[in-house]
Amino acid sequence: MNNVYKPDLMEVLEVHQHTPDVKSVKIKFQDPALAESFAFRVGQFGMFSVFGAGESTFNICSSSNWKGFLEFCFRKTGKVTESLWQTGEGDTIGFRGPYGNSYPMEEWEGKNLIFIGGGIAMPPIRCAVWYALENRAKYGNITVLYGARTVKDLVYPDELDQWAEQERVRVIRCVDPGGETPEWKGEIGLIPHVLERAEVSAENSVALVIGPPIMIKFTLPVLSTMGLASADVYTSLENRMKCGIGKCGRCNCGPVYVCKDGPVFSFEQLSRLPVDY
Amino acid sequence: MSELIAQEALPGLVAKWLAQGKRVAGPSVVKPGYCLYVELKSSAQLALEGFIRPRNSIKEFVFPHHEAICRYHFSGHTVETEDCDPPQVDQVIVGARPCDAAALPILDHLFTWDYEDKFYTERRKATTVVTLACQAHDDACFCTSLDLGPAAEQGSDVLLLAVPGGYEVRCLTDKGRALFAGETRTVEQTAVVPPGPPVMVAPGTIMAFLQARYDDPMWADLALRCLGCGACAYTCPTCHCFDIVDEGTAAGGCRVKNWDCCQFAMFTQHASGHNPRSGQSQRQRQRIQHKFRIYPEKFGVMLCTGCGNCARNCPVGLGVLSTLKETAGSAPVEVGV
Repeated sequence: MNNVYKPDLMEVLEVHQHTPDVKSVKIKFQDPALAESFAFRVGQFGMFSVFGAGESTFNICSSSNWKGFLEFCFRKTGKVTESLWQTGEGDTIGFRGPYGNSYPMEEWEGKNLIFIGGGIAMPPIRCAVWYALENRAKYGNITVLYGARTVKDLVYPDELDQWAEQERVRVIRCVDPGGETPEWKGEIGLIPHVLERAEVSAENSVALVIGPPIMIKFTLPVLSTMGLASADVYTSLENRMKCGIGKCGRCNCGPVYVCKDGPVFSFEQLSRLPVDY
Repeated sequence: MSELIAQEALPGLVAKWLAQGKRVAGPSVVKPGYCLYVELKSSAQLALEGFIRPRNSIKEFVFPHHEAICRYHFSGHTVETEDCDPPQVDQVIVGARPCDAAALPILDHLFTWDYEDKFYTERRKATTVVTLACQAHDDACFCTSLDLGPAAEQGSDVLLLAVPGGYEVRCLTDKGRALFAGETRTVEQTAVVPPGPPVMVAPGTIMAFLQARYDDPMWADLALRCLGCGACAYTCPTCHCFDIVDEGTAAGGCRVKNWDCCQFAMFTQHASGHNPRSGQSQRQRQRIQHKFRIYPEKFGVMLCTGCGNCARNCPVGLGVLSTLKETAGSAPVEVGV
């Protein structure tokens, strides 16, 4: 019988260092048949492992339209990510997935999209931005507001530039006060304040907000003042997981299993759940 | 009319199962006054009387404390993985309490929904449960509040009921019938099932309590006593939370599943340091909530059999029963001390 806990082996194709403590990794299935058949939806996650160190949960941050490889991004914070930091091209890592629900990209068709991300939250937004750009006719205006503590903490800064060149795309970059450099051309301020100043239209819009709890807490009232209903504001929860498949019992948030029923929820859905996230 | 096995014949039957190469587990007095379910090496180890119930549960025979789920070997930059299988051996759990046996069909939901955990299901298929109806209960028992009782049949393949000189044998499944075929004789007498503990709480009411008074100060009061030791979860027949970790050397190793517990602070701590359940009161609430809200909403059954092990094993006198009584608005009750 199939062993649901046994990871598939992946070859590391590329490692890219974004910040002093963030890297992204591009991997492909060693098994050509799996590489061919693998499909996922943007917003889903995987369990990525370094053998000997263990498994960690990351969003698959490449677009679901890209075939032959997938990408994920991590910050060096613990045992598994310390080991991943040492991983280089040609190394072998493990992958299980894709797991969880996904961004409701079909429901969002015909709408203006507002993406708001803080720090390491760029990768889970990036996959949705690319997906929307690759299906450009289906979506209205796209606004990306991305902030980090300092300029050197911005993840995927080159892709922000690429997006900004596209039609009907507005990219707003910001760093915390004190995090700017003399050359910095973006905004200076915390994300909620920058959002207030940016005068983004909420008309016919949905927002995807991902970031640290404190950022989300102060960003939601701004979105509400702008006129967005909580049912139109989404996030991706980051509850700790071990199995990813609804067995190990730790990601429960009230009556939901975040790994199975989430990780993507609207704030209207979250308002009915205890704040166990 | 009923089927009977004589008291002195049962150890012989256990010895026969052992001789057939079966793995046999059952209650055993491991030190004076302390009974555990253990893997039996001989029928003499089996103890069926003289205690209310073992201090552990039978879940460890289908869901071990520690189990390899995958092996890995390093060779330069490459890694090879190897599947693991649970041991392919028939096992019999004899003398299980009805509140232990009933936990198995409850756990079946979790380990088979959407993704099937073969480590559980293959052990489960190879397991025959021979349950012994309870003759006595203590203050911690509350099976009748969970619609079970001293002779509940859920999860059992065979139910034994004590009668003078032996046990009435009620075979409930084909697996059970195969185990006792030719081992019993038909007699006139039938066993009298003793009454269990009185119905003390209505666990269904906890759902309304959690919805209406999620932040009730009662949880903080309970948590003041809780040591966060996890004894409740480890001895519970239905608690099943686990961790996945790698154990190995520079040459390779195993990825393993280990029992874990929602009462530990690290259980939910994010890599960032943020912890959704940073306080013991939140963790106490989570354990009750998982049993009486999350699990019933997901699978239609409560994650509790009323065995009372949480109270018996708690060093500070907490337990599911006393917590349910508090949520029901009645006075705090000291249980199982």
